Formats: sequence, structure tokens, C-alpha cells
Amino acid sequence: MLFEDPQFGNKLITMMAAALLVLQIMMVAQRWLITNIRAFGVQSFLLACIAATIAHFNHAPHIYIVAVLTLLFKALLLPIVLERLALKIEIRQEIEPFVNVPVSVIVSGLLTLLAYVVAESFHRPEEAAGPGRLGHNTLAVAIALFLIGFFMMVNRRKALTQVLALLCLENGLFLAAISLTYGMPLIVEAGIFFDVLVATLLLAILSYRIRETFDSMDVSRLSRLRG
Amino acid sequence: MSQQAAALLAQAALVLFLSPLITGFSRTLKARLQMRRGPGILQPYRDLRKLLQKGMVIPDTASWIFTFTPYVLFAATLLACLLIPTISAQAPLSLFGGALAVVYLLALGRFFLALGGLDTGSPFGGLGSSREMTISAIAEPALMLAVFTVAIGAGSTNLSAVAQSALRQSWQFLAPSQMLAFAALFIVLIAETGRIPVDNPATHLELTMIHEAMILEYSGPYLALIEWSAAMKQLALMTLLVNVFFPFGLSTGWWQLGTLVSLVLFAAKLMLLAAAVVLVETSNAKLRIFRVPELLAVAFVLSALALISTFLF
Repeated sequence: MLFEDPQFGNKLITMMAAALLVLQIMMVAQRWLITNIRAFGVQSFLLACIAATIAHFNHAPHIYIVAVLTLLFKALLLPIVLERLALKIEIRQEIEPFVNVPVSVIVSGLLTLLAYVVAESFHRPEEAAGPGRLGHNTLAVAIALFLIGFFMMVNRRKALTQVLALLCLENGLFLAAISLTYGMPLIVEAGIFFDVLVATLLLAILSYRIRETFDSMDVSRLSRLRG
Repeated sequence: MSQQAAALLAQAALVLFLSPLITGFSRTLKARLQMRRGPGILQPYRDLRKLLQKGMVIPDTASWIFTFTPYVLFAATLLACLLIPTISAQAPLSLFGGALAVVYLLALGRFFLALGGLDTGSPFGGLGSSREMTISAIAEPALMLAVFTVAIGAGSTNLSAVAQSALRQSWQFLAPSQMLAFAALFIVLIAETGRIPVDNPATHLELTMIHEAMILEYSGPYLALIEWSAAMKQLALMTLLVNVFFPFGLSTGWWQLGTLVSLVLFAAKLMLLAAAVVLVETSNAKLRIFRVPELLAVAFVLSALALISTFLF
């Protein structure tokens, strides 16, 4: 059966991971904030799909819960909250990165390369067979998502776009966790999950306050004194 | 030998007569998506017939390059199309060259078209040529790297060999390098065929036009040859995408029952790809000209990653 064959599952997961990487690079290149938020939503949806696939092929039902949580919160709730916030504070819709877009994209490419090199040292070909090693080659993608997320965070000026970068970074962490351990205990997953959720909501409120106080979301203005 | 000649003629006829249909299909689909009725699917054929019957206006300042260009462009594009497997995994001219020949035949046509645009000395022509060359200078490396990615998997840059090896490996298209290469080639397809985020194919007088600016001085049969070549180039690139990444049902020889099935599947796959391009076209606004290199930089990085990941995964 196709849907029981672990090799097929492996290919499917690797393909979705590659799609995650494509989306991440598109986000680096994309200037519109709303499109960025939606791309994050799609990325989270793919992540939920990966989690569900791993749950199916590994017969680990508790990962289904993680997948559903990801779908509900990260693919639906967070994009909606962020989009409403973006509309509410009427910021300029264009993201202004410090480094221009072609260079950013090339830096992301180099970071991905670095991620591949790092992940290579974790690769154990003798363990690569069998259903237990499902999606082992997604580690490189996970590290790439993490590094590019970091780069996006450093590269952007506005608080809201930095929150978005943080979320992408967290997507990478989640992918690394799920592809290495096939699901940590549910309580750990849930803990991280709600941590991120609460952090995002707090950061959203905080960026609203920054904007109220400084008339701008540019975080470099925070270092100025007001009196 | 005579079978090969027949295959050559069959593919030439297929490419010549299918290419305006694909253009017509995507125009009609785009019109429908924008709630317009649009022209019929066969409109490009009528345009070509009309143009071929008309007289020509050739500017006084034009040299022999101006009259030479449409023929070179048409011949180079047709030749490139004959090197790509369409309904059979065996391209009729595959012995004469592979992916490199295809890319550089298309580049030869583009080079002459740019010269033709410059030749009359009209400012619009020069502007179009300069933009076209700027874009292709970035799109071409992305195209090459993406083609090399699939060539490494197949062990040959011959497109017939690539299609046959893709046919043997049924899950090949799920590999991350293929996925990245496909994404890169899709962006290159949009850039090279002058679709909306890069160029607007439906405009004839706009400051931002690229392809149309180059051919502004052409009229009559010459214009027909250029338009026909543009349609064939689009078909060539789409065929490359379709047959290299999704070769299901591609027949291995020419004169067998499977070829008919292959023809039907080929048409269906082309229609799906054209629909995807149209969807991108209707859901995006045209990029400002100096933003286009950003999009192509994405394509370049994606295809470079694709090439690198064939070694690492």
C-alpha cells in the first residue's frame, strides 16, 4: 500500500520540508507585510501536514494533537491576529530591510548551505533505513529555517515584522524537534506551543504600545530618550 | 531513417500548430478570470494569418539586421523546440544537442531580437532591448543551474535521456532538489515569456513594456514570425517543465499507440501549467522594473540550492 510505505512517507515529508524552505526564501524576498503574514500561515499549515504525516507513518497518535494545535493556532489564529493588528495600526505596508532584497536572498541561500553542512554531521547512513528514521533529512531544512528566521529578525526594523521573523524561527525549531524525536512528550510540545502563543500575543500588544508611544514601530527609536 | 524524418516533421508540425493554441488558451482563461469574455481560443491563429497577408513598413534607418532577425529568431526557436521531447521521450533532433543547445539557441534568438530592436535607432526599441538583456542576464544562470540539477539526476544533459530517467523514477518529483528546481524554473518561465510580474503581454504602448518595446517597429509577416517564435519559445519552456518534472504517461517511441495517450496527457499537463501561470498573472501586480532583479535573484538562489542539495541530501 502506498500510504503504508515508509519510503513514500519519507519522500512526502522531504518534499513538504523543501516547500517550507521555498516559502521562507519567498518571505525574505517579499516586501508586503500582509503577504508575509499569509506566507507564514501557509508555512504553518505545511508544518501541521508534516506533523500529521509523521504521526500517521510512525503510529504516534499524540502527534496528531500537536498537528491540530499547529493548524488551529499557528496557521489560523496567529495570522488573523497579526493581520488585524497590521490593519489597526495602519503602518506602511512595505517592510524596509536593512540589507537590500537580492543580497538578503543570497545571504539566505548561504545560510541554507551552512545548515546543510551542519546537518551533515548528524547524518548516520547506517541508521537511515526503517520507519524509525522517517524524515531524518529534514534536519537541514529545520536548521535553515532557524538561521534564516534569525537573519530576518536582525534584518528588519519594525517590531511587527520582527515578531513575524520570530515565529518563522520557531517554525524551524518545531520542525527540528518533530523530525529528530518524532514528537517529544505532549506536555513539552504543548508547553512550547503556548509559550510561543502567549509571547506572540504579548509582543503584538507591545508593538501596538510602541507605535502609540513613539508614533513608529521602528525599534531603533527605542534607544532615544523622551522627556 | 524515414521514421526519424517522419518524427521530425511530426514534432515540427506539432510545435508550430500547438504553440498559438497555448497562447490563445492562456489569454482566454485570463479574460475569464477577470470576468471578461475575451477573444476566442483560436484568435492567435487568426492574428497570424492576418499579419502574414499584410504589407510591411520597414524604417529607412533599418539595416540588413532588421530584416534578418525574424528569420534567425524563428529558425533558432523552432530548432530549440525540436531538441526537447514533447509527446515522445525521444526528441527528433536529440542527437544534435541537449539542454545547453536549447538554452543557447533561445539565447541566439533573443540576441538577434535585441539587435533588431536597436537597429532602427528608435528610443523604444533600444529601451526594450536593454531591459530584455538585463532580465535574461539574470534569468539565464537560474535556468542553467535548474537544468543542471535535473541533468545530474539523469547523468546526462541530453533532454531525451533526462526525460527517460525521470520516467523510470516514479517518486523522483518528490525530491527536494526537484522541488527547488521546479520553483526556480517556474519563475524563469514567467520572466522569459514576459508574463505579468515581469512584463505585461497585453500591452502595446506603455513605458514599462519590455518585449513589445523591442518589436515595436516590426509589422506584417515579420511581426507574424516574431509573434509565432514567442509562442514557440513559451511552448518550449513549458514543455521542458512538464516533461522533465512530470513525465507520467510519456511514450518512449514515436509510432505506437502510447503516443496518442501521451499526446492527450501532454495537452492536459500544458493546460494545467498554463492555468497556473495565468493564476499567478491575475493575482499579482506588475513589478516595478528595478524590482524584477529581486524576483530573479530568488529564482537564482533557489536553483543554486537545488543544485547543491542534489549532492547533500
